[in-house]
Amino acid sequence: MESAETLGEVLGRRGFGRRSLLKFAIAMTSSLALPPALAPVMAANLAKAKRRSVIWLSFQECTGCLETLLRSSSPSIEALIFDFVSLDYQESLMAAAGADAERTLREAVAANKGEYLLAIDGSIPVKDGGVYSMTGGRSNLGMLSEIAADAKAVLAIGTCAAYGGIPKAYPNPTGAAGVEDLISGKPIVNIPGCPPVPEVLSGVLVHFISFGHLPELDDRKRPLAYFGTTIHDQCYRRPFYDQGKFAKSFDDEGARQGWCLFELGCKGPVTHNACASLKWNGGTSFPIESGHGCIGCSEPDFWDAGSFYTSLAGGSSAGWRNTGIALGVGVAGGLAAALSGRRKST
Amino acid sequence: MTLLDFARGPGLQGAWLVMVGGTAWRIAGILLLRQRLHLAAPRIGFAGRVRGGLATVFTRFVPRRTFWPRIAVSVGLSSTFHLGLAVIVLGGAPHIQVIHQFFWLTWPSLPKGLVVIVSGLTLASMIALLFRRIYHPVLRLLSTTDDYLSWLLVFLPVLTGILLSGETIASYRTLLTLHILSVELMMVWLPFGKLLHVKLAFYSRAAMGMNFARKGAAT
Amino acid sequence: MTDFSFLTDDKLVEALLMEVAGLLRGLIDRDEGGSIDLRGLPLSPSCIETLDRCLGQGEISVVLDAAGRSEIRETSLPGVWWTKHADGAGRVIALLIEVAVTPAILRADLADMKRGLDRMPALLAKTAGRTS
Repeated sequence: MESAETLGEVLGRRGFGRRSLLKFAIAMTSSLALPPALAPVMAANLAKAKRRSVIWLSFQECTGCLETLLRSSSPSIEALIFDFVSLDYQESLMAAAGADAERTLREAVAANKGEYLLAIDGSIPVKDGGVYSMTGGRSNLGMLSEIAADAKAVLAIGTCAAYGGIPKAYPNPTGAAGVEDLISGKPIVNIPGCPPVPEVLSGVLVHFISFGHLPELDDRKRPLAYFGTTIHDQCYRRPFYDQGKFAKSFDDEGARQGWCLFELGCKGPVTHNACASLKWNGGTSFPIESGHGCIGCSEPDFWDAGSFYTSLAGGSSAGWRNTGIALGVGVAGGLAAALSGRRKST
Repeated sequence: MTLLDFARGPGLQGAWLVMVGGTAWRIAGILLLRQRLHLAAPRIGFAGRVRGGLATVFTRFVPRRTFWPRIAVSVGLSSTFHLGLAVIVLGGAPHIQVIHQFFWLTWPSLPKGLVVIVSGLTLASMIALLFRRIYHPVLRLLSTTDDYLSWLLVFLPVLTGILLSGETIASYRTLLTLHILSVELMMVWLPFGKLLHVKLAFYSRAAMGMNFARKGAAT
Repeated sequence: MTDFSFLTDDKLVEALLMEVAGLLRGLIDRDEGGSIDLRGLPLSPSCIETLDRCLGQGEISVVLDAAGRSEIRETSLPGVWWTKHADGAGRVIALLIEVAVTPAILRADLADMKRGLDRMPALLAKTAGRTS
């Protein structure tokens, strides 16, 4: 629930001075690619702001998104984010269960009508009336429509919530869909990734709390500051790509030299995300730095885009059998055409 | 399914099958054409005819000296663009990758910069040849939709390929998608128009050479 | 993303120094400085090192302990500050060149000062207890 205290007061009581807040704002403006001059404005706005209620609904998901976000923040300055929001409903984290949990949700919605942020992880099954994922006897689709109606904005966290993700992969038995396919008339921000980069969620939340609106989004509703460039654009192995130095297998000399992984199937050139700049696990590394190509997990339908190990230059082959059939049909057609031609000419 | 997924998946498979089937249809049809009856006795034995046929495949690369002044420019431009295409397709690292993936053959690639320069030359010579086709009165009369379509469907892959190599104008995804789709369009059209000369050029030269040899004419 | 690889380190350093000069001129003429977010630019570590060396060390070095360590050094150019913020885990979260009379983060905040003042009676009581 929203408390009457401002964030500045809450932080002050907990021993964080305004310097911490300003420092946080400096880091956040840098992360959001905003001009550094906005940092003091952001800090002042945050100090005056009230905690924002967040209602988090989990649908067809694996809880990987939530795990990532929780694990990421403990030692870093982003831990402050938990002082800026009031996570009023999250089934995996809350102590309440059953009817109590349902009452909590109703109360949180009623108390913050029109003001709360709705966070979604997981895709929403719509086939057969949405029976494939239910909570307390209600379908995910029903809950989404109802709770989104009174939300200020909807955050689709992870590739499943944003685009349907793995549940939507062929043959999509549950008719899974992403949030933006089902909700209209609400500001939606997609934070795709399997899992998404935690700093992106912090950035979006802080932007929303301090400026009252979502950050600039691209045509796929992703925050431009984090998804404006591809992994390839930011990759430290990019010079090898430009020089044509490619690893041909995961244990050859090129791989040991840290050459480009394009030929081993890296999807970095077509994947928009911030992994290469923000990195993972507190800035330790990201997949390419660990020697594996990008699998493109933050792009729509990444699971159905062919093998992770087929280079972007290649594709899926039609197979020798189909090629043989085509050859046979072609020869037969040529034979028929030639014979009919001969008959006509005699 | 994104457009790129389509281009790398069903699109590629479909284009490949149409190209293979269509080419088989055309070549089978040509091979089964009724041969004109030769009433005169051959001037030369079968081995000589084969030799004549094979020789023609190569001698026709160089035009007769008497024609040179008139056709030097167009032969130069055509050769540039044909050799250019060969260098691009057989020398570009991503293209070798595609060939490797489908046929398990591989060889060392040329440096990217070189392939891009060759692509530029190829593109320029193609444009020059198009202008020649449009402004040359006789050539214009001889040109059909097939000629322009075939030109366009070869031009687009080269153009999108150059743009992709520089990663300018649009995103890598968009350019890669356009590049693959343009190649697939070319593959689909290949058996049905003049592009089939990729397969038929040597066959028709050889057939003509054998015919000439049979009649005792110079090949 | 624009490809900056054609720019050598020297060219980038030169461009950034020009930017610093512009900001410094603004601070002197109109009392408005500014900051350059070095992490928002495609700079290699060696380029940042060169820039740091070029700007040099001035008279002041401050270490700030607020939700992690921050180092603020005046460069050899008075009014130009090299600012590095790290979080509680020691990870760098911001790297800036700040052009200002004093970096804003060093100034004591009004609300913080008031909170300090509010603590004074308790402090006095404790001191009084100790002396009596």
